[in-house]
Amino acid sequence: MSAHRLSPLATVLLVLGAAVMLAPMAWTLLLSFKSNAALMADSGAAFAGPYTFENYAAILKGSLTLQWLANSLVVATGAAVGVLVLSSLAGYGFARLEFPFRRTLFVIVLLGLAVPEQAVILPRHQLFAWLGLHNTYPGLILPSLTGSFGVFFMTQYFRAIPRELDEAALLDGASRFTLFWKVLLPLTLPAQATLGVFTFLAAWNDYWWPLISATTSDYFTLTVGLASAQMNYAQTSGLGFLMAQAVFASIPILIVYIAFQKQIVRAMAGTAVR
Amino acid sequence: MRVPLSGLALIDVSKSFGDVPVLERVSLRIAPREFIAFLGPSGSGKSTLLRIIAGLETADSGEVWLDGERIDTRPPGARGIAMVFQHYALYPHMTVRENMAFGLRNAGVAKDEIARRIAQAADILEIGAQLDKKPGQMSGGQRQRVAIGRAIVKQPRLFLLDEPLSNLDAALRGRTRVELAQLRTRVDAALIMVTHDQAEAMTLADRIVILDDCCIQQVGTPAEVYTRPANAFVARFVGSPPMAMLPGVVAGEEAGRVRVRLAGGAVLATDVPAGGLVAGTEVDVGLRPEHVRLAAPGEEGLAAEVELVERLGDRTFLYARLADGAEIVALEPGFGTLRPGEAAALVIDAAAAHIFTAGGAAHHPEPSA
Ligand SMILES: Nc1ncnc2c1ncn2[C@@H]1O[C@H](COP(=O)(O)OP(=O)(O)OP(=O)(O)O)[C@@H](O)[C@H]1O
Ligand SMILES: [Mg+2]
Repeated sequence: MSAHRLSPLATVLLVLGAAVMLAPMAWTLLLSFKSNAALMADSGAAFAGPYTFENYAAILKGSLTLQWLANSLVVATGAAVGVLVLSSLAGYGFARLEFPFRRTLFVIVLLGLAVPEQAVILPRHQLFAWLGLHNTYPGLILPSLTGSFGVFFMTQYFRAIPRELDEAALLDGASRFTLFWKVLLPLTLPAQATLGVFTFLAAWNDYWWPLISATTSDYFTLTVGLASAQMNYAQTSGLGFLMAQAVFASIPILIVYIAFQKQIVRAMAGTAVR
Repeated sequence: MRVPLSGLALIDVSKSFGDVPVLERVSLRIAPREFIAFLGPSGSGKSTLLRIIAGLETADSGEVWLDGERIDTRPPGARGIAMVFQHYALYPHMTVRENMAFGLRNAGVAKDEIARRIAQAADILEIGAQLDKKPGQMSGGQRQRVAIGRAIVKQPRLFLLDEPLSNLDAALRGRTRVELAQLRTRVDAALIMVTHDQAEAMTLADRIVILDDCCIQQVGTPAEVYTRPANAFVARFVGSPPMAMLPGVVAGEEAGRVRVRLAGGAVLATDVPAGGLVAGTEVDVGLRPEHVRLAAPGEEGLAAEVELVERLGDRTFLYARLADGAEIVALEPGFGTLRPGEAAALVIDAAAAHIFTAGGAAHHPEPSA
């Protein structure tokens, strides 16, 4: 860690900033441990006991919550794995192989970065309806795999690996596949981690596409499911339950953030490559 | 051209990048176990030639043979060649041991044989303690040895080294140079080293291949390229400071040896046989610094003005300009006392002079018996 100390002013500002960020979360957490009845009378009751686990128990008893959690895990994991596989292969191809229209195709990939989801969501909806993909896992996962960013990101990363390594491996008798699998791919692990975490989180947090695609409640992801549950309660009557849901939905994300802190910070700092 | 049954043979190898020719009909033979240095200025195609031998670059035409087999049609891994890269190119995610084992595994060498070869190489290179480290945890010199080790374990028929010493600091370079010299005695293979450091080539190589202008300018032992350079380019490229070239005209002959009149009027009685050099031919007289000295007090010499003084402790080089404008370098033992701008009288050892004609052909002194 760097040795330089923050000035008192900066420290105060940082603490204030942190407090502003953390207060709603702490408030959510407190509310989630209060009985709905107590909160209905006065939400200020959350500052004092008695606290209870009844809201969390209600979530777990809720018929579909665990199913939604599982759906979210499948969709987010599927998206992350799919993006990693496709982006690694495509990135290697763009960075190292000679094939016709390589530059043109790469430009198309770059243009893909500029297309917002809103622009394609209607045709996609129709296409998926036609293919019968709505209310399926592939229907929820596939759109994540069409993103350009992973391909672009992995291409840049592969390009940064010195070609001397490829040449050394070729002289070591490595086949193209061995070269990719044993030499180059392991070197991209930091990039894989970054890209994987971000794809996972984006898919986990996605609300719009699952809202459109999953119309039967057993294919809801957690985001859509919890939102649908919200409408079943008047906000005043189920405040504690609502907050418990929010906390519950954040736990997997929290785990991912903590497990991959290093990669996330690095990616945020823009130093993911190298 | 007949292909030898052992050693390396390059036959009419040509290569251009786009419209730019880099190598034109290069032919070369290397004996088994020979230590060869490719020497030439930057951009002369040394690395390209090496990479064509390795299979990392494809020649436009020509053939490469190793021990009686044509190898330019084979993939790099199937040529019996190992290469040490300039930046080592160690696999960063593998330990030293895995780095050395990688090529052997790909070749299907048995596990215990791999272990045996790694142990042996580690022993030779004294990297036994580092086998489980990753390259990132090692110094440049250690990485260099691992790169050499990775080549040794493959037991190749030919080692290729592209500027193996250029990334090392001066002290380490000296030591590694010694190690390379030892290496060649330990391995049963020929060795080609690319360098643009002539001292490296001179000390290590059995023969030096001098490349320039898309072609091999000369192949010869260090002594040959130094004492009998094939042309003016080699003469000036090999030797430091480079040979001085004094313009002159053939004035005639005496006892079968050429006499040359320098631009300033002085006549040199050289030891170069007269054959082919007729009076009136414009030539350059090549003189190495060790054949030009300061005149002793009272001795007659050519008038010159000192322009630069290079003191090396045991000897001093005086870069001077003759009255006729020609540049010349003189060697003076010990610390000289002359300073830039001062006048000097120089004595030329005419018997050691080389003569180069306008076409670049070289004529060397041949002391009469
Ligand atoms: N892949 C390439 N594409 C285009 N030109 C190239 C390529 N590789 C080398 N060249 C050119 O070929 C010429 C010879 O290059 P090469 O690397 O063989 O020279 P070198 O003698 O090894 O020089 P140096 O001492 O600088 O390493 C140079 O002019 C270089 O610019
Ligand atoms: Mg080179």
